[in-house]
Amino acid sequence: MGLIKHSEKLRISAGIATVASLLLAFDVAFSAMAPAHLAFPLDERAPGEFPDAWIHGSKSAMDNDDPAVQVHAYNEHTYILRENKAINYEGAFMYLFFGNEVAMLIDQGSTSSPALFPLREVVDEIIDGWEERNGQEDIELIVANSHLHGDHYAAWNQFVDRPNTVMVGLTHEEVMAFWGIDNYPQQIVNFNLGGRELVVTGTPGHQGSELAIYDGWTDLLYTGDMFYRGRLYLEDWDAWVASIRKLRSIADQNPVVHLVNNHIEMTAKSGVDYPVGTTWQPSEPPMQMTLEMLDQAVEASFEIEEPGIYTYDDFLIYNQVPWSYTTDP
Amino acid sequence: MKLKKVICGLFLLFTTSIAQAHLLNMTNLHLDTTNPDAVTLRVKIDLGQSLLSPQDYWRTVNMGSREQWVNIEPAVNKLLDGLGIFVNGVAVAANLETWSLVATSLEAIENPLSPQMAELTFNLNNLGLESSTALANASIELRIAEWLEVPWPALLRIDSASRQLPVSRLLTSSDRSSRSVPLSADSAIAGSSFAAKLAMEFQGWIPGLSWVAIGFQHIIPWGLDHIVFVLGLFFLSTRLSTLFYQVSCFTVAHSLSLGLATLGMVSVPASIVEPLIAASIIFIAVDNLCSPVLSRWRFVVVTLFGLLHGLGFASALSELLLPAENFYTALLMFNLGVEAGQIAVLALAFAAVGWLRSWTAYTERVARPATVTIAGVGTYWLLKRVIF
Repeated sequence: MGLIKHSEKLRISAGIATVASLLLAFDVAFSAMAPAHLAFPLDERAPGEFPDAWIHGSKSAMDNDDPAVQVHAYNEHTYILRENKAINYEGAFMYLFFGNEVAMLIDQGSTSSPALFPLREVVDEIIDGWEERNGQEDIELIVANSHLHGDHYAAWNQFVDRPNTVMVGLTHEEVMAFWGIDNYPQQIVNFNLGGRELVVTGTPGHQGSELAIYDGWTDLLYTGDMFYRGRLYLEDWDAWVASIRKLRSIADQNPVVHLVNNHIEMTAKSGVDYPVGTTWQPSEPPMQMTLEMLDQAVEASFEIEEPGIYTYDDFLIYNQVPWSYTTDP
Repeated sequence: MKLKKVICGLFLLFTTSIAQAHLLNMTNLHLDTTNPDAVTLRVKIDLGQSLLSPQDYWRTVNMGSREQWVNIEPAVNKLLDGLGIFVNGVAVAANLETWSLVATSLEAIENPLSPQMAELTFNLNNLGLESSTALANASIELRIAEWLEVPWPALLRIDSASRQLPVSRLLTSSDRSSRSVPLSADSAIAGSSFAAKLAMEFQGWIPGLSWVAIGFQHIIPWGLDHIVFVLGLFFLSTRLSTLFYQVSCFTVAHSLSLGLATLGMVSVPASIVEPLIAASIIFIAVDNLCSPVLSRWRFVVVTLFGLLHGLGFASALSELLLPAENFYTALLMFNLGVEAGQIAVLALAFAAVGWLRSWTAYTERVARPATVTIAGVGTYWLLKRVIF
């Protein structure tokens, strides 16, 4: 700056400093206004609670006045939804996981009609409330599925025209491409849901595109339809054996606290299920399962050699049983 | 373990419908267009719960093939009448090619919880399209008439040779159309707007055009630091020749380093390049304020900074995958896009203040305040990239 006067140098320096300071001040103010970044640490377990009892239908489905979708906040970033059994006997559970700027809905129930089963409306309400509480807006919604059976995606269409929504798709190829699985079912992939680390792997046996998801933040292991308190309908025994042992191996490597899933079909009485198709299940046992139950299933995977129906305390195994034998008279 | 009932494996050989409860007796539609001359639609449907009575279906299952056809023909015709398949908005005809009727018992057919699915395969020939290109550019819609009831929902899968993945749509009793599904991913983009269609047309004529657009975007709007640097060159003096020489040096240099870095011959981490780019902006601006004439060493400095900015472009380009088969063309086109972006920045600068260059107070009132602002912005970026 040899060619310019000292006072001019000062003026220029002051000008540069002013511009830089203003921009930095804007930057800091903008950062302060920006939503707080949510952390989902893996080293400590995020606590959560299940309801004492789920809404479980009624003697007369016509007279049922429970909500079409029961919404339960397991914790502030994890929701478990259940379709009213009076609307569809499956009473399927659905899951809504939140991460930064993104939510994932796993499964869309067994009823298509928005009038009977307004899942989209319910999910939008949950997301709106969550956004408000967490200072985020217009977060993306991923519409995914545990597996490709119609009782878990019947309301899928309610989301196709939803803005800022990713529809994973209802074919095996679309599902695997979304999760980045190119070696199904062996491959285990990590999926980052807005800072929330999910471990995803193939668990066929009940259905050939099924996935299990371990959420490292809550330590929940989601097992869909391949392991739950009910009739485990297995179309491919060998695949299920490999899957159930893989779940045990995931549980060995991670501090799993509960196994969560899609249905309740067992009564609270050991080895006794509710009738197929019932729309009323009084005195239901909890939906979540324990590692001891998983151990029992692994044991069963070594014991069973023939197709048939096998009864255990907390689940029944329908190993490659023809349809006509699956329904109670 | 308590064994409730064991069914011998031999029995299973005679049954095809294995329990997989929680699968409703929903309808499955699979439209396969991968062979342009033999497009097929496979329909899996619980016939005994929809178009036939359980008793008729059970009777038909146990008949020979010829009698089966006589029995299912009215149901098939009803299905064909109610199942509209439209290619580019025009209805196409389908013919039943094969069928497979399966049921384990009348009781199972009567129970909707134990679906006994029939499979009907329809031949749609070439969908009335004369070439595979026409098929790839086509859109297809499947619609179920209001009067036709099938076990809902109906899952539609469309396979196409032009798409890597199938497309899925769910049809329900209140939402009976798949809506128009483009058979190629390209036509999906082209279908979105007139402008996009036009862009796709251009893309057809000049294959590398998309890389020109990507290069342009790396200046406007994504390359804010490059824009500010070029403006720094613009505000040095009022002489056009001065600007021309500087921009030429900058362009040659960043093209060179972009090429070398993309080919993997040079590699500098972004953590070093990015703060240096910010520093280059400060340097150029301060130099403008100190010496308003074009010195020789200014050429050297601008060239060196050009090499630096080229590394910045290469870092951005590395996030994209250049096609292996057209690598050099894509790289050249990307670079041309960057140049076009640069020229656009200068054109806008001329439009905004160029007409004031002959004003005697131009340097004092326009160029100097702008240059101080540029230096301030550079300082902000430098602090942010080094400290934050």
